[in-house]
Amino acid sequence: MTDIIRRNNVNVVGSGTQPMLLAHGFGCDQNMWRHIVGAFSDDFKIVLFDYVGSGKSDLGAYDARRYSTLDGYADDVLDICHAMDLHDTIYVGHSVSSMVGILAANREPDRFERLILIGPSPRYINDAPYVGGFERADIEGLLETMEKNYIGWANFLGPVVMQNPDRPELTEELTASFCSTDPVIARRFAEATFLADNRDDLAELKVPSLILQCSEDLIAPQSVGEYVHASLPQSTFQQMKATGHCPHLSHPEETIELMRAYLRSPVAA
Amino acid sequence: MDALIDQIPCGFVSFGDDGLIQHVNARLLDVLGYKREEVEGRHVETLMNVGSRIFFQTHLFPLIAMKGNAEEIFLLLKSSQGDEIGFLLNAARHVRDGKTVNDCALMRVQERRKFEDALVRAKKVAEAAQEELKETNDRYEEQAIELELQQEELLRQRQIADDANQAKSKFLAVMSHELRTPLNAIAGYVQLIEMGVHGPVTEDQLVALDRIHRSQLHLLRLINDVLNLARIEAGRVDYKIRSIALADVVATVMPMVEPQLAAKGVTSLALLDGAGLVRADREKLEQIVLNLLTNAAKFTQRGGTVTVRVRKDCGIPDRTCLDVEDTGIGIPEELQAGIFEPFVQVDTDNRKEGSGLGLAISRDLARGMGADLIVKSVPNKGSTFTVILPAD
Repeated sequence: MTDIIRRNNVNVVGSGTQPMLLAHGFGCDQNMWRHIVGAFSDDFKIVLFDYVGSGKSDLGAYDARRYSTLDGYADDVLDICHAMDLHDTIYVGHSVSSMVGILAANREPDRFERLILIGPSPRYINDAPYVGGFERADIEGLLETMEKNYIGWANFLGPVVMQNPDRPELTEELTASFCSTDPVIARRFAEATFLADNRDDLAELKVPSLILQCSEDLIAPQSVGEYVHASLPQSTFQQMKATGHCPHLSHPEETIELMRAYLRSPVAA
Repeated sequence: MDALIDQIPCGFVSFGDDGLIQHVNARLLDVLGYKREEVEGRHVETLMNVGSRIFFQTHLFPLIAMKGNAEEIFLLLKSSQGDEIGFLLNAARHVRDGKTVNDCALMRVQERRKFEDALVRAKKVAEAAQEELKETNDRYEEQAIELELQQEELLRQRQIADDANQAKSKFLAVMSHELRTPLNAIAGYVQLIEMGVHGPVTEDQLVALDRIHRSQLHLLRLINDVLNLARIEAGRVDYKIRSIALADVVATVMPMVEPQLAAKGVTSLALLDGAGLVRADREKLEQIVLNLLTNAAKFTQRGGTVTVRVRKDCGIPDRTCLDVEDTGIGIPEELQAGIFEPFVQVDTDNRKEGSGLGLAISRDLARGMGADLIVKSVPNKGSTFTVILPAD
């Protein structure tokens, strides 16, 4: 158990008993939830973590094969559920973690009471007539931009960090600058995320879910959110005023309010 | 103030957490080719190419929102003409007029980008080369492991074969010994009956007893051959190597086969000019020569010749050759290689008396004392068996 806790940098806050598992998206870590945690800490046992390869997880535990698809990330989620003995969990997944949560819940539905999916997309690349919003060349463009930004400093700082295990502040600095500390891992996570196709997994979900759809979300466009809602049994669709792709960072109040409303409401049939 | 910001030598853009652009300076509008009213109020993402937009949403915006600033971020912006222009961005988050705003300074990177692009390309080439090297390495390693496994298997098979051969030799040695005991008893009792110890014997019975005796001797010879071969193969033969005169060896052996040759009407010749000394086990060399002469006698028809010849200069340094040459039936070329294997006889249709072990034993004995035995033969013309001995 302690292995998983350390590996995924699991942190628990709150005085409630029912677990609320917060899963960050690609490019970030558990710090993303900083504006949300306080609002639910009285009523829930909030479990925060970093995927292996992100944030302050144990990079030594990174396995290129395991994390080459989203199933590997779903393994992380279930590992944590087992290690912490989580049941009736409220799972909140941002962006790619929406699909990770669905994969985990399809494998062990009893662990989860409800899923809250922020900006979900089962496939980012267009596949006519399905519109995901991107072409493959766009994803190449993202990988190139990531590479440029890593080459700017991480490539030079990275080796310094590795050679100075006694100077954790170097890692701290990297983590604070970008949530993914290793450019190779970040690239693989990007590929696992943006090249995935989980459309067939949606219909299998037996756990009720809430879809939080931002306005003008480039990453998960309106039509994709509606597609997810149409495909997921027992799902509730909630249009947000918030724009962009990270409402829990940019519009925490609205995000909290909609989450609370959903958690108070009876489960959709 | 706005005029000052418009004139600074870098782009400036300010946006709220909703992503909408609140301010943009003239310099940035100029570089990108937009009018102010085309940009203000639009989402900041729309200034970027798609890759940079995703990066903005997944990395940059969370970074600014969480940390309050960002430095040296590379982004590709899109001009009104559709060109992609590289910028380095520094951002800081402020509260202005009660609202959170994100201010960004943008420095165009053109020359620097060329170097960076070259660096990225070089890195990719290096990574690909490294990957290829690794794959090649892995392949070689796999092959090496496979070879090692094959070698192990070969060694194992060889061990099995050696063990089986040893077991066979041991079995033959034991069995031959066990068979000789009752054969000796048969010979003994035949002699007693012949001598009339058990009562009078008729002429017919004597003829029958003689046949029994000859058959017993033949069987005993076969068994001795088998026993000898088994002993040689089991490495249980001692060689007493000494300096011996070849002429003496021939002189000892020839009289043993001369009656047989004479009875068959075969001429014998001994050409011993210059026969010198060799290093050999005399008894075993005599056994070899006797065996070769017996064979020659067996396979040579009436009117033929068997010649024993010693050649001091036989084309191999420090070696002396002893030929036993006949004018017999010869050995087909394809059978010559197998003639020294145990239980091989050339004339299988017309099987001659013998175990088929004589030549195998002879060659094993020759090799056991540092000599060798070879054959040259032309079918229907004759064969020459040559013992190659170390000269002394």
